[in-house]
Amino acid sequence: MRSLLRLAATELKLFVREPMVLTFVFAFPVLTVLILGGVFDDDDPNFEGALPSDYYVAAYIGVVIAAIGLVMLPVHLASYRERGVLRRFDVSHYPRWALPAAWILVAMAITLVAIVVLLVTGHLVYGLPEPDNLLGVAVGTLLGAFAFISIGIALGMALPSARSAQGLGMLLFFPFFLLGGAGPPPDAMGDPMSTIANAVPLTHVVRSIQEPWLDLGSPTGHLAVLAALAVIATTGWVTLSTRTTD
Amino acid sequence: MENVPGARRHVIEVEGLTKRYGAHLAVDDVGFTVAEGETFGVLGVNGAGKTTTVECLQGLRRPDGGRMRVLGLDPRTAGSQLRALVGSQLQDSALPDRLRVDEAVLLFGDGDRRSADQLLDTWNLAELGRSSFASLSGGQRQRLFIALALLNEPRVVFFDELTQGLDPLARGEVWAAIREVRDRGTTVVLVTHFMDEAEALCDRVAVMRGGRIVDAGTPAQLIARHARLTSVTFTPPVSFDPATLATLPGVDTVERHGERIRVVGTNQLIAPVCAAVLGDDQLGPPDLRVHHPDLEDALIALISDPGTDGSTAAAPGRSLEGVS
Repeated sequence: MRSLLRLAATELKLFVREPMVLTFVFAFPVLTVLILGGVFDDDDPNFEGALPSDYYVAAYIGVVIAAIGLVMLPVHLASYRERGVLRRFDVSHYPRWALPAAWILVAMAITLVAIVVLLVTGHLVYGLPEPDNLLGVAVGTLLGAFAFISIGIALGMALPSARSAQGLGMLLFFPFFLLGGAGPPPDAMGDPMSTIANAVPLTHVVRSIQEPWLDLGSPTGHLAVLAALAVIATTGWVTLSTRTTD
Repeated sequence: MENVPGARRHVIEVEGLTKRYGAHLAVDDVGFTVAEGETFGVLGVNGAGKTTTVECLQGLRRPDGGRMRVLGLDPRTAGSQLRALVGSQLQDSALPDRLRVDEAVLLFGDGDRRSADQLLDTWNLAELGRSSFASLSGGQRQRLFIALALLNEPRVVFFDELTQGLDPLARGEVWAAIREVRDRGTTVVLVTHFMDEAEALCDRVAVMRGGRIVDAGTPAQLIARHARLTSVTFTPPVSFDPATLATLPGVDTVERHGERIRVVGTNQLIAPVCAAVLGDDQLGPPDLRVHHPDLEDALIALISDPGTDGSTAAAPGRSLEGVS
């Protein structure tokens, strides 16, 4: 356990030394807050009765979670494989699951810090609504972050190079971003698009946070989807990381 | 492969090792033993199966057949137990660019700052402690990798292509480091395609070709078996008639390459050729050069001989006990 924490602390230090990644994870969601919060009129009827800037709070958090899970983690781990860093770990005293496990800790910490930065910015610019059910918001955020971090690790363990991880990550990130809650609200979408949006995993993250925050309904179904995703992705990365190279 | 009483203990035993990648047979019925404290070279050109063989021994690849023991353990089933007893430097491995040298030693060691500092001192890395991995030269990186491979004070250490891409000065540094490891009594398995490296460092070597071991023994034994020819090259004095050389004892062939003459034959040709060339001119040709057979000649003979492709003369999987 001590060596796992040492590994996580070292990886966190290395992350802080990567300014480009830091920019994407911290600055992009903040930009989203500033733009989305100001796009719609306050009396727009498409937001289930909520203010647009309030409605989008959960989406900002979703953007952070998606950026870390779909882009940052896969690119980071795939570049470790490509450059031979994972080979160095293969012959160390760390078991194969140690590096992914350390990254769950590191990514959770980064996610929480990025969310705080984001909420503070949102609060200063537009003012944030009081959450209706703070515990529900916390559960939704943590489960959503854990599911997407697990997906990110599974992608990183499966993809051969940083370039392929970047390509696939972006290909997933933007549709997730646009359809998962940070784009037009579901009530403004046509039926087919709204159906597709419901199939996007990020939608469940955003709804799991949004519904308890704004008292829009029970998020149980969305939380169940996230739990299932977390189990599948965790099984995936554990299998990938413990197999011997053929 | 029983250990012979009185002989040094075998720390590595391999028998009938086979590994396929799809239809390609990368390692084909390979067998050898390595004695405790020995420096054992696995030689051959690229694609001969050297790396696959040693990666199977380190439990990093799953072989399709054969029997392996490293320190009495089967790498297939006792991978994590073995990890504590062996040290490794894998081909093409790296560290994160922004990881500092002292952080790397702390990360892969037991986390104790004092023992990390001591290790950095031993391997002459102390002044590089705060340098990032990306800023290190090739030789410094390999020195760091050697230090990392020895962090757990292993009894067996695997080095795969340690000096690839290094300049001569850096290679010298790495050789000195490997000698130091050997002198501590650690068993070393060295994978290389540089024959001078194997000749300088290894007690015994196995030459691989097409996934098979085509011969094994001490460097001197391999040279004696596969590279007996010595050559003498020089620019003759104007008055000299090279035809007289062909009749001298030990001379096989006499060739002219532009101004220069190359005489090839057994070792005993050197004295008569030198005497003939010197004649009355006691200074002799200033560019006279004698090339004794070396491991590289032996390897070239072994890998270019169609009879040693592993199908006929290779004696596949034979016990190499006799050469240890």
